[in-house]
Amino acid sequence: MKKVLLIILFSVLLLLKCNGGIEPEPVKPEGPTGFKGKITFTGTWPEGVKRTHLVVFKKPIEKTDDFFPPNLSFVSDSIPYGSSVFNYSSIENNFLPIFQLGEGTYSYVVVAQSKTETISFERKDWYVVGVYCNNNNQSSPKELILCAGEITEGVNINVDFNNPPPQPPN
Amino acid sequence: MYRLFLLILLLGNLSLAQRGKITGRIVEEDSQPIIGANIIISGTSYGGATDEKGRYEIIGIPYGQYTMEVSCVGYEKVSKKVTIDKELTQINFILRESAIETEQVLITASKFEQKKEDLSVSAFVIKPDLISHKNYLAFDELLRDIPGIQVNLEQVSIRGSSGYSKGVGARVLVAINGIPFYSGDNGDIVWEMIPISDIERVEVIKGPASSLYGTSAIGGVINIITKDVAQVPVTYIKSYAGFYDNPSYEIWKWNNNLRTFYGTEISHSSSTGGVGYTISIKKFDNMSYRQNDFRKNYLGYFKVNKTIDTNQSILLFGNYLYMDRGNFLYWKDSRNALVPKDEDNGNTVKSNRFFSGLVYNNRLTENLNSTFKLSYYYTRFDGYGIEVTTSIANLFRTEAIFNYSNRGNFNYTGGIEISGSIVKSNIFSDTRFRGGALYFQTEYRGIKNLIATLGLRYDYIKLDTIKGKNAVTPRIGLNYKITSDLILRSSVGTGFRAPTPAEVFTMAGIAGGIDVEQNPDLKSETSFSFESGLIYSPSEHFNIDVAFYQTDYNNFIEPNLTKTGDIKFINLTKARIQGTEILCNWGAVPSLLNLTLAYNYMWARDIEKNSPMKYRPRNTFNLQIGFTKQPFELNADFRYSSKVEEIDFELTEPPLALIKDGYKRVPVYVIDLAGGVNFIFSNIAATLKLSVKNLLNYNYVELIGNLAPIRNYTLSAEIYF
Repeated sequence: MKKVLLIILFSVLLLLKCNGGIEPEPVKPEGPTGFKGKITFTGTWPEGVKRTHLVVFKKPIEKTDDFFPPNLSFVSDSIPYGSSVFNYSSIENNFLPIFQLGEGTYSYVVVAQSKTETISFERKDWYVVGVYCNNNNQSSPKELILCAGEITEGVNINVDFNNPPPQPPN
Repeated sequence: MYRLFLLILLLGNLSLAQRGKITGRIVEEDSQPIIGANIIISGTSYGGATDEKGRYEIIGIPYGQYTMEVSCVGYEKVSKKVTIDKELTQINFILRESAIETEQVLITASKFEQKKEDLSVSAFVIKPDLISHKNYLAFDELLRDIPGIQVNLEQVSIRGSSGYSKGVGARVLVAINGIPFYSGDNGDIVWEMIPISDIERVEVIKGPASSLYGTSAIGGVINIITKDVAQVPVTYIKSYAGFYDNPSYEIWKWNNNLRTFYGTEISHSSSTGGVGYTISIKKFDNMSYRQNDFRKNYLGYFKVNKTIDTNQSILLFGNYLYMDRGNFLYWKDSRNALVPKDEDNGNTVKSNRFFSGLVYNNRLTENLNSTFKLSYYYTRFDGYGIEVTTSIANLFRTEAIFNYSNRGNFNYTGGIEISGSIVKSNIFSDTRFRGGALYFQTEYRGIKNLIATLGLRYDYIKLDTIKGKNAVTPRIGLNYKITSDLILRSSVGTGFRAPTPAEVFTMAGIAGGIDVEQNPDLKSETSFSFESGLIYSPSEHFNIDVAFYQTDYNNFIEPNLTKTGDIKFINLTKARIQGTEILCNWGAVPSLLNLTLAYNYMWARDIEKNSPMKYRPRNTFNLQIGFTKQPFELNADFRYSSKVEEIDFELTEPPLALIKDGYKRVPVYVIDLAGGVNFIFSNIAATLKLSVKNLLNYNYVELIGNLAPIRNYTLSAEIYF
């Protein structure tokens, strides 16, 4: 009987360790979460480019699969060919509304171009032409931090067609 | 002279001492008579035995206080204090079946009767009294309490065989009387269809059983054996009613009405002229604790059994279920955990299902037995959302089994199976499926203390226009009795599972903004498994079973998010599930207090990515305490499982984030309590039960965005007459 009591006691101790389980999330600020900024283009636009998008990735791209969902987190509307400046807002220029940006840190924000008419989900079809970076050093991507219910401003990217950034793994 | 007078007076008093008679009935819990039970009055020479109607009579018992003891082979002994102070005293007894764990007989492991101690695979048997005492209302509630079994909403998994895929493509074969019970379109199992009150026992084979059962048994088998029909007429009525408690947080309260559930079942069983029958109807509704999650069900069930002669018998059974239910897919968010997403609210599903099976047994010679099985399963569901989704499936199946035993060293089992289904659906396409199989198994007992089993099965499966697939699944099993109380078992084998029409051909939106893509290139998955176990039974009241298992899967089929954000069933290249399971049964106070403890450690991973597989907890622990002192019974169940490491993060995290706060998951701690009292009133056996499920009102999910049932209370009454 002592052993039975020990087992029951052990179970009670185990139970004391647990709390009430899942809790509701605390109230978050109302309003959309996103970012806005300006993309500046320098140099001559490459020929044959059909699509130019601002693209946001959750983690740095280390392998081909990282180029796609779920790591791919945002795709802007296509930027018109030949633009010199493009002002954007992630709320107004969301090309794939099924992708909803949430609060958090995004490691790789780039401008990428493709020569396909329709949007392609093949890594080989894309070429990165500009990176959101620290001190204009395109080899040092800058993290984009989004807070719930806030629009982060000043996410500006310079695209210099004469000085392309390093390409992620293909 | 005075002394002589006293002696005469004393003798006169003795001879005139008042004596009484005790009569009564001794029955099982379902009111069936127990024949040949012994009744003794302790400390006296008075006693008796029950007749074919379970009645007994003991006469000439001097008035006084006694202890009556009732015993019968296969039942737990019962004693009761009685006072004989009148001419006729009526005392009835209800006995519970008892079985020594290793002496239990199973039919599922080899398709013929075997003692559990002779098996080469892990097995678990759920006895009918356990089903009754715990006041289970649905079959999946029962499965959650079986060590090694995990249930994610409606999907059952043995030792991690399945994650979650909305019930599509089961890896555990569920059978009724040995006849597979899965639908022809998505291969799902509808637990509400199973007639709980007619279950004699449930046999669970843990680990691949494809070498005998083919596709769907890659993870194991759950075989539901129904009761024999009653020899004397018995009518059974069960009614229950219950309600859900308030949710833990005020913001989760979406409705001020008491959320109730109730059900009533009436069944009658009898035998006349060699024909036995059971008929049953049941209505059961559940308002649910969640919005748009209601269920309204009607279940009809029949069974006819005819013993033609000493060698031949035939069993026909069928069940029909009509279900009208809400379609709760995922919560709106964790602040609205009991409310569905706006776009899913109001979606409903209506379904009609009819399953029928026929089992014909013929002992052809003294050594050769044949069994012929035939089944038909009709399913239709209509989902009402933005679009109407419909699927109608007709599944036919037939099997012939032969068993030859010359009572020598060998026992042979062989069989042939043919099945086919026709599906008409606007989500699974109009498809046809057909399959055939041959299998053979031999058991060898020629070496002292050793039982060796060798089995082989060939399957051919053709799914619509896709090229037919072949599968050969061998298995070898060994059982070695090291000593009389220590048994070693080992099993090595392969398994396979063909994709279901739903996994290949589904082409539909499944709400929440998710579409499913077809994948005609989906391959069958195969497995190679190994298991080794030890059973130590030092006494009839204690045994411990330890098992080590490993299954390697190739082309494991799992739903996956595609680059375009759709769901598609794909073949994972390789997956491995390894683990160890410890199960201990202990009659701490025999016939009074029983404990079952089980622990399972499981490491399920995608070998290519070296990442955990979805919805598989690493650690699970069960503790079950059963206390019985007639007429009372009390059961307490505790189950724990560790937090699952991998879920469908693609659905919970940006950019899709279709299930807001869907990442929320916790370890599971659940306590269920059930208590009851049995009594006989005017020759009617009755039971009252009260149960509390999720006593701690602990909030957890089995599937992301789906809060498991909150604390609820059930009161039920059962009578047999």
